[in-house]
Parts: sequence; structure tokens; C-alpha cells
Amino acid sequence: MQPILRARDISKSFGAVRALEKARLTVERGEIHALLGANGCGKSTLCKIIAGTVALDSGEVLIDGEAAALGSPRLAEEQGVALFYQELSLVPQLSLGENIFLGREPRNALGFTDRAAIQCETEALIARVAAVAGTGFTPDARVSDLSPDQRQLAEILKVLARKPKIIIFDEATATLDRRQVEVFFDILRELKAEGVSSIFISHRMDEVFAIADRITVMRNGETVAEFSAAETDRYAVVYAMVGETGAIAASVRDHEPLEGDARLVVDGVRSTRLGPVSFVAKRGEILGLGGLQGQGQKALLSGLFGAEPFHVGRVTLDDVDVTARRPADAIAHRIAYVSGDRGRDSALPGRSILENTAIASLVREKRHVIPGAQFRERFADVLTGLNTRYAGLDAPIGSLSGGNQQKVFISRWLSPAPGLLLLDDPTKGIDLGAKGDFYLLARKLADEGATVIIYSSEDSELLSLCDRVLVLNGGVITADLQGDRLTPFELTRASYGDAA
Amino acid sequence: MSGLGKLGGRAWLVTAAALLVLLMVNAVLQPNFLEPSVIQSNLTTFLPLVLVAIGQTYVILGGDIDLSVGAIVALVNVVTVTVIAALGGEGTAVIVGLLVGMGVGAGSGLVNGLIIAGLRFQPIVTTFATSIVFSGLALWVLPQAGMPVPEPYWRTYAGTILGVPTVYVIYLLAFLLAAFLAARPFMIRLKAVGGLRTAAFQTGLDLGRLRVSAFALSGLYAAFASLCLTGETASGDPLMGQTLAMSAISAVVLGGTALAGGVGGALGSVLGAWVVGMIGSVIFFAGLPFEYQTLVQGLIILAALAGGVLVTRR
Repeated sequence: MQPILRARDISKSFGAVRALEKARLTVERGEIHALLGANGCGKSTLCKIIAGTVALDSGEVLIDGEAAALGSPRLAEEQGVALFYQELSLVPQLSLGENIFLGREPRNALGFTDRAAIQCETEALIARVAAVAGTGFTPDARVSDLSPDQRQLAEILKVLARKPKIIIFDEATATLDRRQVEVFFDILRELKAEGVSSIFISHRMDEVFAIADRITVMRNGETVAEFSAAETDRYAVVYAMVGETGAIAASVRDHEPLEGDARLVVDGVRSTRLGPVSFVAKRGEILGLGGLQGQGQKALLSGLFGAEPFHVGRVTLDDVDVTARRPADAIAHRIAYVSGDRGRDSALPGRSILENTAIASLVREKRHVIPGAQFRERFADVLTGLNTRYAGLDAPIGSLSGGNQQKVFISRWLSPAPGLLLLDDPTKGIDLGAKGDFYLLARKLADEGATVIIYSSEDSELLSLCDRVLVLNGGVITADLQGDRLTPFELTRASYGDAA
Repeated sequence: MSGLGKLGGRAWLVTAAALLVLLMVNAVLQPNFLEPSVIQSNLTTFLPLVLVAIGQTYVILGGDIDLSVGAIVALVNVVTVTVIAALGGEGTAVIVGLLVGMGVGAGSGLVNGLIIAGLRFQPIVTTFATSIVFSGLALWVLPQAGMPVPEPYWRTYAGTILGVPTVYVIYLLAFLLAAFLAARPFMIRLKAVGGLRTAAFQTGLDLGRLRVSAFALSGLYAAFASLCLTGETASGDPLMGQTLAMSAISAVVLGGTALAGGVGGALGSVLGAWVVGMIGSVIFFAGLPFEYQTLVQGLIILAALAGGVLVTRR
């Protein structure tokens, strides 16, 4: 019999970045198929191509043996492909029933919306999860009034209502509790019995081995291995994800445990998608935040900086309470934050390099009038120290390359030197040479006494730069890797919640 | 705060209560206020605003805004009177004129929608610009006020159809069209587009078509309003309806439709339009200078917006 889905030689580039290089995926009818890989391996891009939200550059997708036209989500849906979204596809202002049937509302003979049918069919769907859905999960409940796990159940029901042949579940279990996951797995098994195929992406290795029939592993945009779940084990799967070189490569730095006492103490912090998280960090330490993307790393950094304040918990730096309610609090306590999203979070576009450098000091010192000469000298010195090439302090920030801009944005926090430096995927979109400079700079700041916390979407960056890496999974710390255990293999394994 | 939050999409209840208070105040100030002829005359005065507000509701529900409705009213008015005059002013000429007027209204809305949804321009800037274009066109068609419409036109408007006052028939037809649209899946989809555009896209809705339809409806309802105003003034005026756009947006917001889109409905906008109209009436009969109307209207809209912010913030 034909496989229900066969994707062959799929290639896709975003600008200069190759996301997929001749990737392949074969899913049999009535199969639960797990798709695994480290951050940036291309699994999400491949799924989006199959679901019609991203266009492919070359390659072909066969559904039921026939070439599929997948130009838009609607076309993909017509061919029986449904993608589960993490909350993105629910309209908060509409009711649960309206959301589930949005775009394909049942109609009566006059062409009017058949509200009774929506009510009745939604109730039938809700019955499948009623035991674990909690209170208020009714057809006319507004989605904005539902809890995160109820919204996730709603997304699952919305996918089911479309009666697809292939369902892609991208992190469908992220906010579900254990009982809800069980019910979700029961639904998957029922679908399987009906001949529906599922592609299952999860960051929990336990779930993968509990439910999947077969496993496809991707690495660097390529499909590198296909397993039958019954005939393999976790070790082999993680090994395939990391690759031979990654598994045996010694860590790049010698990670000697640092001397000294805890300086930064984070105690039980919690926000919407994070926590509770507690950890300590030392003076001069570069602490990495690892794990798959979106497991709370960015929430932790922006919480420490006060941009998205923690709901509960306490942060102290050198025994001073520095729990920030807003960025100005953090800045007053010499906490610095550098984002990889330079355009959105850092740049004052169209303003000069001097202004872009001086801004943080102006805020901290509450200056309203700027004495030119004195400031100019002060920041010229700082910038010279960074080895940045620029035409002049008055040149617009946009005249610099991404890497040099990022150095300017770090320099804004160097006068005086920060006590805690938060780096949020700082080298995104920066060329290799500039990255090297950036690592040296971070290391220099740490050696001068700063505590550095860095989140990076590239595992290799964490491994080469950090003294210690905390792995986050589902908003909590699941592993603390240092010394001998700070290896690509351990990092990938821990990212999938499989740490020993 | 949570009390306001529970109101959710039923913010129009507040508006209905406000309307009731205004009605009672007005009844005290104006002894003959409840006589049928006075009621009819008031409803006739409010009709153009009611119609424009219903049309504006669809645009705002879809997450956009239409500042050009006032200019569309003027353009439809001058085109209609010019066409009727050019065709000789007989019965068929009036009917052709009405149809051409509606076509111009819907077409103007279509142009707005295509520019905004197709070329992805900002709605607020685009409709501000097209309102100037439509006003310019209106002045080009009819440089000065004048050109009377034939007697049957305004006589019918002021008279009755099958014993029912024409104005009430128009109210009924406008309500029926609004009720028809509200019962169609179109309404849910439009709310989805205005509620969370990414979600509507992921769900496979045709965002462009829905937004263009909303603008076309807004243009069409503006044409209805213009034809009613023409029945009242009985002549062409290229500067007609200039305050209508802002008053209609006020009415929509007062009627409980969120300016951000996704929540609300046409019925609320009708109540909102009546409230805006009644404010003017109360001020007049209270003996206050007319200029106060604008001030009071502005303050009330500010209060309504503040209420909306409280509801969404909870």
C-alpha cells in the first residue's frame, strides 16, 4: 500500500540560511510518527511546508501517492492535512464552538449559521475530553476565558473537527498535565485505529517512546535516520540527533568549576510560562540557558530584566534584592540586557552611534541635559575598547554591520560595568568573525567580575562559551550541566527531558 | 473591574441604559416628545447616522476603520442628483439615480478595501486620503450646492409606503439586511479577522475578501444614508455629511463594538447612533448653546473608550 505521506528532497532557504537540504519524511497510513531533532534542525520548517504555511524551494510532497499542491493552509486542509498550532489559531474573542468550526460553519437551508449544530457537534467533541477538561469548557465559553491547558485541548478538538487524514502535532502536549496527556494519547490511538496518521513533535522523550510507532531524526536540515520505535532505544535516537562528531567531541573550553560563593540567587521565580525556577550563579561565571526553543529561556531573561516581571519569587544580587518590576529597576541595579532582536529591542534607529551608546547611562543617571564633550570622550573610550570600526560617533547606527551594532549595544551597559549581564540569543544573524569577537568580549566581562547569563538557540555556542548550562524544559530547569557532563550529547539528551 | 469584565460583548446594555436616561430627560424637557409625529421627526433626523454607523460596524469589527464615509455620502449625493437631472427627472430617472448612487457608494468602499487589504496600506491613513479624493470628486461633479431633486423623490421620503412612513420602512430594511448578515457565517469570520488576524489566517480564512467586503458594505450603507439625506434636503450638496464619519465611529464605539475589532454588532451601533443623536436633542431643549453638543459628545466618547480599555484590560 502507498504511504499516506511521502516528502522527498525538500529544500528550503530563508535568505542565505539553508533550513532544509533534501529532507525526507515518509508516514504510513494509521501511524504515529515522531519527528525529532535539535534546535534549528528544520523539523518545524518541514512541518510548515507540509501544512502549507511555508512554500518549498524544491522537492515534492506526495499525499496518497499523488503530488500535492500545498500553497496555503486552506489547500493543505482540502487535501487532508491539518496542523496543530500552539494557541495561534484560536480567536480569543470568539466562543469555543465558533472557533472549532471557524471557516467551515454548519449552515441551515437558508445559508444561515446553524448555531444549534455548532452547539451540538461541539458538545460531542468536548465529550471526548470531558473527564480532564475542567470547569467552564462549554461550547459557548469565550476562548479568552479558558485556561492555557483548556486552550490547548480546544486546539486539539479544532483539528479533530476537520476530520483530516494527516495531523501534525507540534508540541501539542506542552501545557497539558499528565492526565490530559493520557487522554490525548487515547485520542491519538483512536485516530490511528480509524486510519488517521499523526506526525508528533515533542520535547519529551518519554512521550515519544510511549506513543510513536516510528521515529525520523533530522539534523542540520537533513533527514539522518529513521527508526522503528520498538527496535531502537533512546541512546541511539539521541546519538542520531547529535551526530558522530558531536557525540565524541570534547567540550571546547576546559570547564573548571569556578571558585567563590553564589552571587546571584534566583529563588522560586514564576511567570506565565515559566517556573518555578531557582538557581544560583557566581561572580565571573558564564551561565548558559539550554534546551529546545521556547521552553522559558527568554521568559527567564526578560523576567530578570523586569520587561515581563515575575509573578512570584525573589532575585538577589550581592545580597541586595533586585527583583525587577520594570526595566528601570533592573538598570538601577546594574543589570544589563542585550537582545538578539536588535531592531526591535535595542536600536534607536536613525540616531547616532553616540546616542545609541549613551542611552542606558542617561536613563540610569536620570540625565535630561547632555553635556556634549564630556560624554563624547567617555563613550569614545568605551567603544575603542571594543575594537569596533566606525566612521565617527555621529554616524547613524544603521551604518554599522549587525555584529558591530551588537558591540555598540553591549557598550551601552559598560559605563559603569554591569554586575549581571543578560544575553538573549545575542549573536542571531551575526557573521562568524563578529561572533568570535563577541564571545571574547563576554568572557572578558565575566573575568572582570560580571555574572553573565546567556540564552542561545545554537547549542554549539553554549558549549563553547559557558561554564555551566541549565537546561529548561516546559518552563522548569531539568538539568544542570557542568564539567565532564557539558557535552553535545548530554545537552541534547537533557533538552528532550531524558537526563539521568 | 471584574463586573465590567463580565459584561464582555454585552457592553451595549450600558448604552441602552444611557439611551433610556436620555429619553426620560428629553421627555421632561420637551413636553410633546412622545407624540408620534415628534418621534417620527426625531427618528428621521437620526436615520443617516444610524445607517452610516451600521456600515462602519463591519469595518471596525474586521479590525479596520473607515474615515471616508462622510465623503462617500457627499459623492453619492451629487452623483445621484446629477444623474436624475441628466435623465430628465422622471420616475425611471429617480430609480436609475438611486441605483447609480448605491453603486458609487459600494464602489468607493470597494476601492478602500482593495487598497487596504490588497496593497496592505494602513486603513486610517488610506481612508483619510481617499476621503479627500472622494470630496474632490464630489466638488468636480457639482462645484456648488444646488440642483434640486424632483418632487416625487422627497415627497415619497417624507410620506408613506403602504400606509407606513417611508422612514420606518427604511429602518426596517436596514435592520433586515443587518440581521441577515449577522446570521451568516460571514459575521463570525469577520470577527475572527478583527479578533486575531494570525489565527484567522492559520484557520484558512480568506482575509482579503472579508476585509474588502466589510469596506464595500460600509460604502453601501453610506450610500443609503446619503440617499436619505438627499430626501431631506431635496438638493445636491458637495459638502454634505462632513461630520458623519466621526459621529458614526462614536456611535459604533458607544454601541459596544471594540475599536480593536472582534467584538460587537450592528444593533449596538444603532443604539449608539440614537444616543449621539439624543445628546444633541437634550442639549437643544435644555437651552444650552449648540456648541456644547460637540464638547459633550467628545467627553462621552472618551468615557466610552476608557470603559472599553477597562473591559479588555481586566
